[in-house]
Amino acid sequence: MSDANFDREWQLGDLLDPAQLARVGGALTTLLGGDCAIADGNGNARFGRIAPGARHRAVALELEPVAVVHSASADDRQLAAAGELLHGILRTQVRYHMASALHLEAVAEDFESLKRKHAHLQASEARYRQLAAELDARVKAQVAQLEERQQMLYEAEKLASVGQLAAGMAHEINNPLGFVRSNLSSFQRYLTQFSSLRERLTKDLPAWQALDLDFLIEDGRELLHESDQGLERIARIVGDLKAFSNVDRASEAFTDINECIRQAAAVIEAQLPPGIGLQLDLLPMPSMVCLPGHLKQALFNILRNAVQAVSDSGKPGTIKVSSQATADTLSIRIQDTGVGMRADQLEHAFEPFYTTRGVGRGAGLGLSTARSIVLAHSGTISLSSRPDAGTTVTIDFPAPP
Amino acid sequence: MPELDDKRLSFKLVYYGPAQSGKTTNLLRLHDLLAPELKGEVMTMETQDDRTLFFDLLPLGFRAPSGLLIKCRLFTVPGQVAHDGTRKAVLSRADGVAFIADNQRDQETNNAESFRSLTENCARVGIDFERLPLLVQFNKCDLPSAVPEAEILGRWGNTPWPVHFASALHGRGVRETFATLLSLLYHRQNAACGLAEQHGLSEAAFVAGLLGQP
Repeated sequence: MSDANFDREWQLGDLLDPAQLARVGGALTTLLGGDCAIADGNGNARFGRIAPGARHRAVALELEPVAVVHSASADDRQLAAAGELLHGILRTQVRYHMASALHLEAVAEDFESLKRKHAHLQASEARYRQLAAELDARVKAQVAQLEERQQMLYEAEKLASVGQLAAGMAHEINNPLGFVRSNLSSFQRYLTQFSSLRERLTKDLPAWQALDLDFLIEDGRELLHESDQGLERIARIVGDLKAFSNVDRASEAFTDINECIRQAAAVIEAQLPPGIGLQLDLLPMPSMVCLPGHLKQALFNILRNAVQAVSDSGKPGTIKVSSQATADTLSIRIQDTGVGMRADQLEHAFEPFYTTRGVGRGAGLGLSTARSIVLAHSGTISLSSRPDAGTTVTIDFPAPP
Repeated sequence: MPELDDKRLSFKLVYYGPAQSGKTTNLLRLHDLLAPELKGEVMTMETQDDRTLFFDLLPLGFRAPSGLLIKCRLFTVPGQVAHDGTRKAVLSRADGVAFIADNQRDQETNNAESFRSLTENCARVGIDFERLPLLVQFNKCDLPSAVPEAEILGRWGNTPWPVHFASALHGRGVRETFATLLSLLYHRQNAACGLAEQHGLSEAAFVAGLLGQP
């Protein structure tokens, strides 16, 4: 047990230091008529010498004596008075010492609890800081997500309106196309009938020949055939447009992705500038549930970028689209031999509104939209590119279960 | 923890509780009511408007058949919330605690708060609360606003701590509270201090020695 505890049993030596004891002892010696000794609780003299045969008086603070006054010169009454005096002095001293020791202990305790509170506060401050940081990060993430959703919504709206326009146009074009084809076919029959006139003309053959009707009929047939081919092409383009826009299938469908690739490629093929080849290398793939219209939009965007990249290079080039399925992935690769991208461009390529083209030549939404669509289908999209060598876009979808 | 040397064994008992529940009054009445072989004065340290700022101390003692001096030093803590540091320092090294509750309905919150601080402070000063000799005294039972005993017993009957009812101002229940605390103390310390084995002290003799009964 520590000596500093306020509740220890205080001894004479604790309560009066030698100098104080000397002053008290000196005063008592005078009062007691010349002889005085003060012993501690164990009987050892702390002041003066205990004379043989001296009277003594014990002084207790609690239960046991802490001091004993010895005197050979004093009578009992004087000794009792001296004892009372010393008792009073010691009592004052013990109160003072206990109070100050307790005060020190209490201050130490208060300090300890302050330290605990401080540590607690620090911990809670750290917790709030972390919470604030997490909140900030979450707000940022949510804002980014909102922007992306808004972007997708915008694209979807755009796609829908373009699709509606395309579907309306296809319908409107198909009507005149039908009767033009029917008319041309009738005209063909008329021409055949018209040419049979030559057999009946025997006298007036020179007039026939003068009018060069043989050539006209021959060339007329040629013209009708070419027109028919032209109409065929218009019909195919309209069909592609209609299939691509997919207005009639804006919801999820169980679709062969290769079919989506073919339809997107058909649209882009019609717009291919000279010197650019499009090559499809599609391996059989299992069908998956997707939004075909959106997927085609994504593929179309990537293909359009590829076409632009090759055109920008000023050289003839190829765009190769390949697809293949493994046990857990459906992969599509779109590879071009165009201008490629620098590392710093690559870094921003998926950001909305990032474009290297001039105003009015691209909004910078193509890849960003494609990425949103792929992500919405639980897929991943990645770019690898080297300047002047070309770009490869890889899209992976998880294989359907 | 008791202090033991070859001549004396000293226990520290603490009267704990909310402000003005009657801890000092308990001590003053004990001083009047008890007559052990050795009895010191009540040492009252600084007070302010009759409220304890530091502590009060009542020393009691008797000699065991073996010649060992058994001492019991009774302390009170300051009850006011602000003196928690002092309260903890006084509680340090306690061998037993009497929790003095103010048995008036409007004091129930203060009692609960003080009891909670007792458990916390015990942990802080290294006292094993589970094994601490502890009892609860509901004081001021003579007042008209006192909570009925049946209600108190209904609430405290299932706790491990003995419950006493008292009116310390009139000296009622004070001695009984102290006697129960001594019994608890004896059971806790008998084996460790060899009270029965080495010093020939039965529980009854131990309690009687400090109460001052024949």
